[in-house]
Amino acid sequence: MNKIVLLLMGVAAWVAVAVAAVLITFNIGDKNQILMFLPILAVVVAAWAIGELVTERVFNRDEEGV
Amino acid sequence: MALFERAFQNRELHDPGFFRAIFSNTWLAPLWLLARLYLGYQWLLAGSHKVWGEGRWIAVPGPDGLALKGFWERATAIPEQGRPPISFDWYRDFLTFMLDHGWYQWFSWVIALGEVAVGIALIVGAFAGIAALTGAFMNFNFLMAGSASINPLMFVLAMLVIFGWKTAGWIGLDRWLLPALGTPWQPGPVVAGLAERGRREAYAPGVRDRDRGAGPPVPRQV
Repeated sequence: MNKIVLLLMGVAAWVAVAVAAVLITFNIGDKNQILMFLPILAVVVAAWAIGELVTERVFNRDEEGV
Repeated sequence: MALFERAFQNRELHDPGFFRAIFSNTWLAPLWLLARLYLGYQWLLAGSHKVWGEGRWIAVPGPDGLALKGFWERATAIPEQGRPPISFDWYRDFLTFMLDHGWYQWFSWVIALGEVAVGIALIVGAFAGIAALTGAFMNFNFLMAGSASINPLMFVLAMLVIFGWKTAGWIGLDRWLLPALGTPWQPGPVVAGLAERGRREAYAPGVRDRDRGAGPPVPRQV
């Protein structure tokens, strides 16, 4: 996959985290703070995993000369 | 003089191993993630009440910040009996000055948007240490104004995140931001590259890198 597309995917993942956190908190944040905390945790971990994948594909591949 | 020279000579004190293991090692990054997310969530929730809904502080019909004005008025009031909410006279004078000058109208925007910004920065882990420091400063001010609520807990958590600023955002954007941007004492490749480009531009403005060749910087013609 194109490196630019991969990088944009990584950036979009973190923008999605910010949007999701705002939507979750602003709309249903007061109802159950523990239950609202878990989806935010999940999207952060997912975005981090996407970021690691993008880093592996975009940067480490160059170092290995692949 | 010899006493002062001996006491303040150039001597670096190193952190103990357990301190570095807790605050500088990425193995505890998942723990810092939880602390960071809790803080961020609380700031975002507090900010959401100020920018959204019926009881919001900003973008209301009429002048903004009337809720903040009420908060400052209660905080600066000195009751007939008992202790006033603010313990320090200088801080009461500070709030009274802002109250008298009507600063609550624009300051309510600063607080509301600042809380949302700190919350988002902590949740995505972008400059987590700076975000936690900003949050701790807001906690400090709420505490100084006599509002306890969950501010003490948030202040302590913010202090811990500040201590662990290098790893607090590891499971977050700092994983990429900090290595790329670096620090003022150790610039990363992005900042170092920009600084180098600026230095070259200062020597030969308008000359592009590809036109300049691989030689040393060309001195500016005066």
